[in-house]
Amino acid sequence: MRFVRRYLIPRLVQYVLVTWLGITVVFVIPRLLPSDPIESMVATLQAQGAYRDPAAVKQMVDTLRDMYGLEAGLLEQYLSFWKRLLSGDFGPSYFSFPTPVIELIGRSFPWTIGLLLTTTVLSWIIGNVTGGLSGYFTGNGMLKIFDGIVMFVRPIPYYVLGLTLVILFAYLLPLFPFGGGYTIGAQIAFTWDFIKDVLRHAFLPALSLSLLGIAVNHQTMRLIIQGVKEEDYIRYAKIAAVKEQTIFSRYAMRNALLPQITGLTLSLGQIFGGALITEIVFSYPGLGFLLYRAVVNSDYNLIMGITTISIVAITTLILIVDLLYPLFDPRIRFR
Amino acid sequence: MSHKPFALPSLLLILFWMLSACAPAAPVVVEKEVVVEKVVTPTPVPAPPKEEKIVMGFPRSETLFAQQLTGRAGTPDNFNEWVGWKNRDRGMAQLMNEPLWTIEYAVGEVINSLAAAPPQYNEDFTQMTVKLREGVYWSDGVEFTADDVVFTIEKVKATEGLNYHVQLQGVKNVYAPDKYTVVVELAEPNSRFHTYFLDRWGSLFIMPKHVFEKVEDILTFQYNPPLSLGPYVLHSYDPAGFWTAWVLRDDWDRTPTGMLYGKPKPKYVVFVVYQDPASAVIAQVRHELDAAQLTLEALRAVLTQNPHARAYRREFPWVVNTDPCITGLAFNTLKPPFDNREVRWALTLAIDIISYSANAMDGALMMSALLTPSVPLYLKEYYERMEPWLRDFTLDLGGGETFKPYDPEAPFRLAEYARSRGYVVPEDPEEIKKTFGYGWWKYAPDVAAKLLEKNGFTRGRDGKWLLPDGTPWKFTVLTDPNPGHHHYQNTFAAVQEWRKFGIDVEANVNEMWSTLNLNGQFDVSTAWPAYEPWGGHVDLYRTFDNWNSAYVERELGKPHYGHLSRWSDPRMDQIIAALKATDWNDTERIIELGIEGLKITVEEMPGIPTYTYVGALVWDTYYWTNWPGAENIYAQPYHHWPNFKYMLPFLEPTGR
Repeated sequence: MRFVRRYLIPRLVQYVLVTWLGITVVFVIPRLLPSDPIESMVATLQAQGAYRDPAAVKQMVDTLRDMYGLEAGLLEQYLSFWKRLLSGDFGPSYFSFPTPVIELIGRSFPWTIGLLLTTTVLSWIIGNVTGGLSGYFTGNGMLKIFDGIVMFVRPIPYYVLGLTLVILFAYLLPLFPFGGGYTIGAQIAFTWDFIKDVLRHAFLPALSLSLLGIAVNHQTMRLIIQGVKEEDYIRYAKIAAVKEQTIFSRYAMRNALLPQITGLTLSLGQIFGGALITEIVFSYPGLGFLLYRAVVNSDYNLIMGITTISIVAITTLILIVDLLYPLFDPRIRFR
Repeated sequence: MSHKPFALPSLLLILFWMLSACAPAAPVVVEKEVVVEKVVTPTPVPAPPKEEKIVMGFPRSETLFAQQLTGRAGTPDNFNEWVGWKNRDRGMAQLMNEPLWTIEYAVGEVINSLAAAPPQYNEDFTQMTVKLREGVYWSDGVEFTADDVVFTIEKVKATEGLNYHVQLQGVKNVYAPDKYTVVVELAEPNSRFHTYFLDRWGSLFIMPKHVFEKVEDILTFQYNPPLSLGPYVLHSYDPAGFWTAWVLRDDWDRTPTGMLYGKPKPKYVVFVVYQDPASAVIAQVRHELDAAQLTLEALRAVLTQNPHARAYRREFPWVVNTDPCITGLAFNTLKPPFDNREVRWALTLAIDIISYSANAMDGALMMSALLTPSVPLYLKEYYERMEPWLRDFTLDLGGGETFKPYDPEAPFRLAEYARSRGYVVPEDPEEIKKTFGYGWWKYAPDVAAKLLEKNGFTRGRDGKWLLPDGTPWKFTVLTDPNPGHHHYQNTFAAVQEWRKFGIDVEANVNEMWSTLNLNGQFDVSTAWPAYEPWGGHVDLYRTFDNWNSAYVERELGKPHYGHLSRWSDPRMDQIIAALKATDWNDTERIIELGIEGLKITVEEMPGIPTYTYVGALVWDTYYWTNWPGAENIYAQPYHHWPNFKYMLPFLEPTGR
């Protein structure tokens, strides 16, 4: 009961408050920008080159503003937003009117989640294992070489790394396609051929994200484990002649993983914002470009849709980690 | 440490990825004859002969691949282009739509597309009659008639939220006296009513009445698969919005394209999005992309790497310089000191167009001294006719001193610059003018200084300019953040010139640039110094009307829907009124009024025209040849313009 009262309930309250606050802030901020969805729409329509006399454009703006419900006051719009949200509706996209926001997100979501979830988790696992080994067994020659490679890869800007992979493996050695989610004209079906096609197209974006992800996790873990290695309990275990592998896996890695788990949680939450540069370099479908376009066009509903999902994902994952932490770290239970 | 605990989650993740990647709807392959219901039945491309090379699922020798200019389609399932913006350059505009009329700016004419002739107005412009082309059919076999046009006008007028709904409120009555004639009666005189149906990268397209009359809510109607009046019909598209494929109609000869120009040569046309210019370059080098519009640097890369690639011009400056848009600098004329024409002229004379051109485009451009582009028709009807006046045009510097600012020698100096860079440049003076422009304004910083001093400006001890109140003169030039756009090129070239002249100028690279322009929250902007004219017709009404004083919102910070400069002039109002009372077919009178209007813009300089928009167009001739290059201008050259369909009958397959 004490755990529920002193640990669980405060965290649940915090979860609800942070989620509400985050969504509210995201609701207000786009409306403070100097841009406006109707004006963006008008600018795009005018950029087409089609003739619209200025008087007609002004009337069109008034009509659209009324139709999109943007004439209402901020509070009225806010209440209407929550009413819609609680019934699972983000409303229509203003820029892609009248397509519902949820449909736009649903179209991009699987690609983003598939690519980023896999690469985030895999690079976390690989980077932490190699970083842990490298930080603990500092005399190992192979690991030193690996450290060198990581030091080389880590500072490369992501855009350059992505482009280098495209040039190397799609142009000079044409092993992989240089863009898209699957071959143009391919029939999507749950067949091995199509799965292979999707994996071939995803390979280079996944490789680019994984390389940098592994490098970041490797270096962070290496630093953490070097600190852990100097702790008294490690020294004591060594004096007590506990096997080196056991000290590494049970004592050093287990303790060093705690901050990395928090890092993983946050990275997983950020997945929902997409990977804009990956999508641009590899013409890969995903949420990043959708969010970028929503921001540029002040598509309030679409911004709210994507960021609400992202906020809920991050706060929920943090809540889960908070609830699981006592299992990893007994000290939390005893406080 | 055991690896086993990670094995199962990893496998699950990979499986999840595969499943999730399959989650979007299949690329929709559309059967031709179906009208309202969305069809997702896969109809694979017919199996080609065994030796046929297949690229991206299409027989390469029969397929033309073109780059989609406006990027990934936001609503790939939706083809209802009467609502909002629909990335129409994925083939809808170029292959599916036929408007009543189409602008052809490279040849300098208006093509009668669905219309059989130009519009006919009554004397007071309250009635417009359109004769339609006979024998045109929708792609489902239903004949296109005047009923479709009448239905479209009535439907759009009646439905709030549809594009052009506001513009059609002026229609009093519309009817079809016979199957191929439409009469529109207007509540107020409007001599330019037909221009809503004149396609220049967009217009009001005609709805198939037999489909739309059954639709309850037209705003949410997806119109998928769409019907076509053009020579191609939708074949399939990517639900993620990266590509759209079109197939030639069996009855292509029952479309205006077929009737006017013959059979389009490619059987398939596929529009593909390349979000990164480097990817487009690689695709062109690998012969996977036939037509692309790139940056100048990317154009050079393709020409270097692909021996089969060519640009619009085979030699320097390569680029398309006949585009119907003028680039340059627009002043916020309601904001001091830009409300003073002599200050605007001083800033013009502080620009050395040669170094400006070098900074903006390495000299690969066509300088333009008028606020209208150097398309062939305007060179003939405006630039050449106005040349004597331009040479005589004089500025009053005060104290009895005058200055003639026009410089007809500027293009020759730009040609010299290009030669000094090692480029091959024509020797013939007429060719040089056609390549680099007819002239520009003199680089005269001393004259610019006199004009500023005349208006109370002074120089500080550091040589920098001070405003009449003695404070340092600082301002910004607003631009779009896209480095590939001419707005951006103009901004940095101007900043450099004006800094050299001693003004503290900064570039304002801003994602919100279009909104800031709309609300007048800028000093100088590079978002088009004048509204685009038609290019293929001499009428400058739509350019001038954007400067109409009736529209000007004088309070900065509030949106203004005319030209962003918010400039107006009573003399220009008179020209606008006179144009409005002039028949569209009376071209001589229109030219006269156009010249008078352009003279006012020269005197007032509300924006500085710098160069006609240049397009870094690259064609790969490996599979398709006979593109409309500068040596063979039979059509406008862009694949993203609606006229692309009229170019396709002239292309020739190489047989590869």
